[in-house]
Amino acid sequence: MEVEVDEKELKAAGAEPLPDGRHGLRIHGWEIETRKLSILTSSNLQLWEEKLQTSHLPEMVFGESCLILKHVDSGTKIHFNAFDALTGWKQEALRPVEVPAAAKWKFRSKPSEQVILDYDYTFTTPYCGSETIEIDTEKHGREEISQGTYGLHWDNCEEKIDVVSLASKEPILFYDEVVLYEDELADNGVSLLTVKVRVMPSCWFLLLRFWLRVDGVLMRLRDTRMHCVFGVGENPIILRESCWREATFQVLSSPDNVII
Amino acid sequence: MSDLDRQIEQLKKCEPLKESEVKALCLKAMEILVEESNVQRVDAPVTICGDIHGQFYDMKELFKVGGDCPKTNYLFLGDFVDRGFYSVETFLLLLALKVRYPDRITLIRGNHESRQITQVYGFYDECLRKYGSVNVWRYCTDIFDYLSLSALIENKIFSVHGGLSPAITTLDQIRTIDRKQEVPHDGAMCDLLWSDPEDIVDGWGLSPRGAGFLFGGSVVTSFNHTNNIDYICRAHQLVMEGYKWMFNNQIVTVWSAPNYCYRCGNVAAILELDENLNKQFRVFDAAPQESRGAPAKKPAPDYFL
Repeated sequence: MEVEVDEKELKAAGAEPLPDGRHGLRIHGWEIETRKLSILTSSNLQLWEEKLQTSHLPEMVFGESCLILKHVDSGTKIHFNAFDALTGWKQEALRPVEVPAAAKWKFRSKPSEQVILDYDYTFTTPYCGSETIEIDTEKHGREEISQGTYGLHWDNCEEKIDVVSLASKEPILFYDEVVLYEDELADNGVSLLTVKVRVMPSCWFLLLRFWLRVDGVLMRLRDTRMHCVFGVGENPIILRESCWREATFQVLSSPDNVII
Repeated sequence: MSDLDRQIEQLKKCEPLKESEVKALCLKAMEILVEESNVQRVDAPVTICGDIHGQFYDMKELFKVGGDCPKTNYLFLGDFVDRGFYSVETFLLLLALKVRYPDRITLIRGNHESRQITQVYGFYDECLRKYGSVNVWRYCTDIFDYLSLSALIENKIFSVHGGLSPAITTLDQIRTIDRKQEVPHDGAMCDLLWSDPEDIVDGWGLSPRGAGFLFGGSVVTSFNHTNNIDYICRAHQLVMEGYKWMFNNQIVTVWSAPNYCYRCGNVAAILELDENLNKQFRVFDAAPQESRGAPAKKPAPDYFL
């Protein structure tokens, strides 16, 4: 998913690539970076299971992959990672969804003793990103290096993400898509959490999407979009919108839902 | 050079066969497979391979590491198709090798060797795209019904795609299954292709999906004891390190699709058994990008909203 961008185009927009082979760019005081690595090793997966107090995690956890957007002067850092998303899954703890074959299985002769597992195997998460304010004291000329972290301040507002301006074909200076976790539901569908980002000369825009399809049962979509127009103010303003949708196959296939 | 040898050479270059050739190959394969037992006897030395999932160029790496067929004997534990880009070429090459060297390669059925699953996970679409019709998919899925369900190496190592079933205590019970059908949604045949070992249960567990068995250590111990086998070798689950022992070396998972779905970054493994059943795992990486034929296209940035 990597795209070569013309150096001239970067320069014209006042942007520069990140140093040391990191994947991303600096633009208008922001450092925007993606890291894409392998799925967790068995031993790391086990560590995560202990930390999250669960015995089940998605088959593919891209535990070291992330998207980071850091506004250097204000210390505002928005980032996306699998661990925090799975923490959200653990907390929400939805009831498991039965697959179509389950109806038949109820009539199967059972082993004399059987344990019924009841965790949410769809890994549905309310996650909409992680955030911190990092004050890097070293930068401010002090000797000791310490980092304080504070939450970000979000307000409800009427303003909406300007989709029209986003639809304009401004050059894309940086684009990437990062898979955070994925599970094939043992071939009963798909559960996928990804984040996409694009950076243009005037703004950055990202979409975090949880997508679930349980074959023959339901589809579930949980989107979070963030948009930041580069400005002059000291503190950047970011618009964030979330949208959750869900429908069963039954409802979607009913004649009332045919789109003409 | 016989037609079959020429076809094998062609498939090794990742070039699919003509529809008429696929039809003829499948008819020959059917004659061979129909004679095989549900618990197919396999002699050592043999090299056991797990899921391939249409990753043709990675399967070529596998043969580089393990040696060519027929010089090396192979046992493939199913899931030849779906997910990867080259399910057609992958399955046809394995099938052509089976027809050419029936005693040197054993193919057993995975849960993806099914009409229903291949319509969702890629093989159906790939056949339609490459041949313009679904005839090749039909020939192949008809062959899937004839694939054996398990293998027994030197009476000591039981091999199956998924795992055990509460309906099965002895190997003879597997031998009595009428396998020539689409993989059913429940019952012993379904379990053999679908079930998974699970650490947190000791006996039997039911998946939270409401279908699918999980089996614990004591189930494996008693199965191995009853059938006088040393251990079970299965595939079906992705393992970052290529293989994974469980329950005190009573069962091992072997996974042979490196960098699964072209993005997981995992290594793959095959299990080599010599004539005395000494084990050696051979771990290998995905094929380098430049050996995959067409270079990977970098997608244009996407104006997503």
